[in-house]
Amino acid sequence: MIKMEHIHKVYRPQSNPVNALQDVNLHIKTGDFVAVMGPSGSGKSTLMNVMGCLDTASSGTYWLGGVEVSSMNSDQLAAIRNRKIGFVFQNYNLLPRMNALLNVELPMLYAGIDKEERSSRALDCIGRVGMLNRLHHRPSELSGGQCQRIAIARALVNSPDIILADEPTGNLDSVTSEEIMSIFQSLHQEGHTIVLVTHENDIAAYASRILLFRDGRLNSDEVLSPSPRTIPNLVMNGDAL
Amino acid sequence: MNLTESIRVALDSISSNLLRSILTTLGIMIGIMAVIAVVAVGQGGQQTIMKEMDKFGSNLFQIMLDWRRDEPPTGNEFTMQDLEIIKTNVPELKYLLPCASSYSQIKKGSQTKTAQILGTEADYARLHPLDITAGRFLTNSDCQSRRRVAVIDEEMAQELFPRDNPLGKRILIGNQSLIICGLVKSDSSPLALGTKYVYIPIRVWLDIYPEGNISYIEGSTRNLEDITLAMQNSIKILEKRHRNEDIYQGVDMEQQIKAVNKVTGVMTLVIGIIAGFSLLVGGIGVMNIMLVSVTERTREIGLRMALGARRRDILLQFLIEAVVLCLLGGIIGMVLGIGCAFLIAALAKWPPLISWTTILLAFAFSATIGIIFGILPANQAANMDPIEALRRD
Ligand SMILES: Nc1ncnc2c1ncn2[C@@H]1O[C@H](COP(=O)(O)OP(=O)(O)O)[C@@H](O)[C@H]1O
Ligand SMILES: [Mg+2]
Repeated sequence: MIKMEHIHKVYRPQSNPVNALQDVNLHIKTGDFVAVMGPSGSGKSTLMNVMGCLDTASSGTYWLGGVEVSSMNSDQLAAIRNRKIGFVFQNYNLLPRMNALLNVELPMLYAGIDKEERSSRALDCIGRVGMLNRLHHRPSELSGGQCQRIAIARALVNSPDIILADEPTGNLDSVTSEEIMSIFQSLHQEGHTIVLVTHENDIAAYASRILLFRDGRLNSDEVLSPSPRTIPNLVMNGDAL
Repeated sequence: MNLTESIRVALDSISSNLLRSILTTLGIMIGIMAVIAVVAVGQGGQQTIMKEMDKFGSNLFQIMLDWRRDEPPTGNEFTMQDLEIIKTNVPELKYLLPCASSYSQIKKGSQTKTAQILGTEADYARLHPLDITAGRFLTNSDCQSRRRVAVIDEEMAQELFPRDNPLGKRILIGNQSLIICGLVKSDSSPLALGTKYVYIPIRVWLDIYPEGNISYIEGSTRNLEDITLAMQNSIKILEKRHRNEDIYQGVDMEQQIKAVNKVTGVMTLVIGIIAGFSLLVGGIGVMNIMLVSVTERTREIGLRMALGARRRDILLQFLIEAVVLCLLGGIIGMVLGIGCAFLIAALAKWPPLISWTTILLAFAFSATIGIIFGILPANQAANMDPIEALRRD
């Protein structure tokens, strides 16, 4: 699914260069649930941006689903972000003037999907994160956890190859964090490929593999034994909210 | 993202800052309003004048005293003999008649009214489209034998004889008692400004006003092509007879139409320039507010890019927003402009002329301003770096 070879990322190459990623070699298979860990400034977000085709590496090669991304133009990258990648952000990034349903439909607007299918797919994804009872609420009328559920629904709506989540529980309390993580866990069990940044061990424990970054380098790559946790089933239906 | 979606997003963003949006488009509103109002009133006025001139027929000419001359008129510039001599020496002429007018009082018993008293001849009815509704107009024999008769318009008749048939009744003009021999329909055109008319034989008029004189002469030719020649020859005869080279001035209808067109042309140009500046200022206002909007929505732009918006999608979104903003301003301006046009026209008493061309032009203009002044902010939005944009708060 994802293959990175000798990826370097240098910010401000002329004046005062910052080596945000240094010689990163990485292989992520379909269905992996990867946690990316490391101290602040170690290059986790930079890695996510490169992986998500929001940014391009300074050097090295990056294959996404068998396609070499480094040589693509901005329209092609936009199409990849639209169809192959689902982003989940720490601060949710929902559009404040749109209700939950419209926020979830947004990626499909750029995929040119017609209105009927948009709303049926959006409803399906909102159902999967247990938010059908909040369709017409705006982000300001939702709690942080609810916003993040909507954001996850938005990430799923174009059936992406990979879900990239940069500290998705960073703004949430521990109970809500667990609820969100169990959504990720069940997505993993449905076969989704997930890469998730966190600096909390509890959160990383949901993953099947942990990458540890330090100073822009991949320091360790540890495969965990199949998760001992069981997902509390009630979290997946809306009543739990 | 398709067009309807883009327009919805644009309307949404405009309505979220409604007051700001309205203030922004004020310049465009005023510009479009001015253009629409002035063009409508101008074209309405022009049309009214043209209709009026059409009534005369375009082979009519008038010879009057040049109003630019230095010395005051002697009162002898046109005489009845002049007319006879011109008639015999200018064969192209079909009709030639004297006109003398005074705005003065008419009495009937104790009642006094004022009207335009026009002394002329029978042929007047052939040069002007008078609508005789009762009795007859002045005849040649009325004029030759100085018959004390008058033709009055219906409005005057209504005022003087609200109950009786005015035909055959007597009215007093100056010291002369005249018998009403005919009625004409009142001139309802806005340019008449409600003036009432009384037509009497020229010789009777000269008897009533011994101090008065023929103020202008009117004529027409058999063929339209001869009109300028006939007019010039008539003027030459007058100049020769009165030994005065530059007191006479002739106008034919063609010339007047040209003059009217010239006036409206200048007016349109002046308003065009004013409106142009207003629209320019309006456009800069829109550009300014769009730049603000782009800055405010940096994170939204970053997010849309992350979710798959191409640069051109973002460009189009903001361009459409600018165009929609300008069109809204344009539409409001148009409505206000049409309102103003009707108001002005109601005061000026002529119908405004609002053509589809004007409205389409106003639309096209507003949209063009949106595109021209929207392109810079839209381009700025489209060229944002998605990561930088997402990091902004
Ligand atoms: N746009 C940028 N310009 C310059 N330096 C940057 C930029 N973005 C990140 N960096 C630097 O790159 C390094 C890695 O940053 P980041 O990937 O955000 O770390 P993390 O997400 O692990 O905290 C940091 O030293 C950071 O200061
Ligand atoms: Mg980070």
